Amino acid sequence: MNSIATPADRGVIVKTGGKAKFVIGALVILGAIAYVTFSSFQANAIYYLTLKELNAQRGSLINQPVRINAPLDKSSIQFDANTLLLKFNLKDDNLVLPVVYKGVKPDTFEQGESVVAEGKLGPDGTFYATTILVKCPSKYESAAPTQQP
Amino acid sequence: MSELALAELGYAALLISFFLTLYAAGAGFFAARRNRFDWYASARNALYVVAALTTLAVAILEWALITHQFRFEYVALQTSRAQPLLYNVSALWGGQEGSLLFWAWLLAVFTAIVLAQNRDKNRELMPYVATGLAVAQGFFLALMTLATNPAESGFIVVTPWTPNALNALVGNPFRLLDFTPRDGQGLNPLLQNPGMFIHPVTQYLGYVGFTIPFAFAMAALFTSRLSDAWIRTTRRWTLVSWLFLSLGLLFGMQWAYMELGWGGYWGWDAVENASLMPWLTGTAYLHSVMIQERRGMLKVWNLVLIMLTFGLSILGTFITRSGVIQSVHAFGVSSLGPWFLAFLGVTLLSFLYLLFNRMDQLKEENELDSLLSRESSFLLNNLILVGAAFATLWGTIFPMVSEAFTGKKVTVGAPFFNQVNGPIFFALVVLIGICPLIGWRRATPENLLRNFLRPFVVSLLVAVALFGLGVREWYGVLTFSAVAFVLMTIGMEFYRGTVARMHAQAENPVTAFVRLMLGNRRRFGGYIVHLGVILAVLGIAGSSFYQVETQVNLKPGETARLKQYALQYEGLQTYPTENRQVIAARLSVLDAASGARLGTLAPEKNFYESPIPDASQWTTEVAVRTTLLEDLYVILAGFDIKANTATIKIIINPLVVWLWIGFTLLIAGTVFAALPEGREAHAAARARMPEALAQA
Repeated sequence: MNSIATPADRGVIVKTGGKAKFVIGALVILGAIAYVTFSSFQANAIYYLTLKELNAQRGSLINQPVRINAPLDKSSIQFDANTLLLKFNLKDDNLVLPVVYKGVKPDTFEQGESVVAEGKLGPDGTFYATTILVKCPSKYESAAPTQQP
Repeated sequence: MSELALAELGYAALLISFFLTLYAAGAGFFAARRNRFDWYASARNALYVVAALTTLAVAILEWALITHQFRFEYVALQTSRAQPLLYNVSALWGGQEGSLLFWAWLLAVFTAIVLAQNRDKNRELMPYVATGLAVAQGFFLALMTLATNPAESGFIVVTPWTPNALNALVGNPFRLLDFTPRDGQGLNPLLQNPGMFIHPVTQYLGYVGFTIPFAFAMAALFTSRLSDAWIRTTRRWTLVSWLFLSLGLLFGMQWAYMELGWGGYWGWDAVENASLMPWLTGTAYLHSVMIQERRGMLKVWNLVLIMLTFGLSILGTFITRSGVIQSVHAFGVSSLGPWFLAFLGVTLLSFLYLLFNRMDQLKEENELDSLLSRESSFLLNNLILVGAAFATLWGTIFPMVSEAFTGKKVTVGAPFFNQVNGPIFFALVVLIGICPLIGWRRATPENLLRNFLRPFVVSLLVAVALFGLGVREWYGVLTFSAVAFVLMTIGMEFYRGTVARMHAQAENPVTAFVRLMLGNRRRFGGYIVHLGVILAVLGIAGSSFYQVETQVNLKPGETARLKQYALQYEGLQTYPTENRQVIAARLSVLDAASGARLGTLAPEKNFYESPIPDASQWTTEVAVRTTLLEDLYVILAGFDIKANTATIKIIINPLVVWLWIGFTLLIAGTVFAALPEGREAHAAARARMPEALAQA
């Protein structure tokens, strides 16, 4: 229904100051959203490392939140169904990282090829995971989901 | 026919379709340039044949899936003899090649429908529309029939008629094994859920659907017919595509809630984000086109929005397919990613190039008059929706981008998305209350007072009441009083309209209400959608802010308590079913105070045995007791059959049912708005005309 838009309308209402306030308003809002996005990103961004990278920066990363992705040593899996304490090792060549996770064991854990774990490296050299995600080997298997934060 | 012959037939159908789309694109473009309608008719016929041929290809693959033709590699990977028929059928969209075929097929059918609908309409636009749709279709067909792994061989396509070449095609759904396995591997048990049967279908219908308005937008740019004709023609397509994206979100969340068993429905996972982003920009588009239809404004913005929505739909398909981002849904790493990015880049750049070329023809017919007007509140809603999409996109793809540029991988999780999108969505909720009630062009203070005084008072009362009831979290009080504010404004619209009609037409309240709704489907459909969104927000706020949980290990006879519930453990139960072994923990649910029996819950662990080594898998089946106030959600986390003990996790999710109710209303409202307007509406529109002219 463009009946509203008559030439008179277009010709008469040309207020140069009118447009500026909308542009400014829009920029303020977009700026605010961008600011919130980037500042929250800074506050929440964590490094995503391999075992080798973690090992190389081990000193500076103690008790820092990080996410790691490394192959799972299936023979090391221990799960106590009573306390829901899951222990396993991640290993890459000769590097071994013991991981402790408290929570429900992912259903596909035993078939996991590699694990993505989020948490902190303790001073004792153990990785305390708060979230784990299993990557499965099969070509079309979806990665198994786990408890989310 | 032998399997080989059928596989070749299926492949040939796709290959011929590919060449037909090439032809249709060329013929359509020629027709558009030279104004040769006969060439357009020929392009259209070619696309009809593509629809028929892709249907044949789907039929062949479905037949193979249902009848266990395990020489088809896809069938062997996605189905097994023990798998129920339902999941053999849905295996079509369970894997990568099948979903490519499904995408292409849906697009072919949509294309045929839109070409038939516009047989005698939009004569200038249609040749370009056909060209655009043929190009998009050609891309998906090429992925299946010609594409090899770009990482290995660059962007080289194979000559499909050399021996064994068909098996080198990464996207070919008709690859054959050189032997016939006795059984297949089967669909991942996690995907064996009725929600998973329907979720991908609706998601794809939504993704594919947005190709249609995008093609019209492209055609509008080519022809310089940039009035709202292209928007009007695609209004229903857009609404229906958006409807399917909404359904996709609903089924996806329900699947996550019931099948993934971690107590939530949304984890800000890459694939979840991928389905949310086009929904957000699509929502913005649905609103801003109203401004163009009514006032001839925001033309460039609308073109950009439909481009973003289409681009994000393709990106969504790409993220799901490529496995490039860590995700619970990713289908494993695939080599098709670079093809998707190339297609996306070329399409968006050409669109933007055209847009810049047409800038001078996209002048606004009106200017914004006042900051306090319907137009500016819509603009604000648009900025916020696009802002939310941008923030989500940033968090989703940043890990990739940062790795590409700095070599270091940085990532963010759910806390980032909650922190950013929480306030953005809160602002949206408030706007839902404000936008529909602000007058067009310039709102007066009296108008504002009349519309917002009562809702504001009600929301204050709700805030006070909540505080009195002991709710101390400011975000909870704020959100629930905002919800009350919006519910009140929507309620008042229904009430006022009905009362006005009762007086004007001397009708009883029920008749007036029904006629009011039927006569203004778009408007009241929109209000129903808003109502649905607000109820969903209620569910989201309740379950995000006030979830409580506990974890206990129980021997038979022992009881676990959480809030007003007492769960008495009776023991384990094991039994086999058609395709799995079930281990269930039986729990009696009692009222902790009175001891009254409320029911039983039996959370399960299921074991799916597979003939293929290492492919056997456990899944967790949660048990949920739902009331309008809260869900009692129980997970069997561990068990010891010998000792008959079970470790269970108990979660109370307040108000979660309102999320499902809200989404159902949202979908009902969209359907209502998409139905053809009644005669009364046309009469009403005519009646409004003099008023509109007088205003100008």
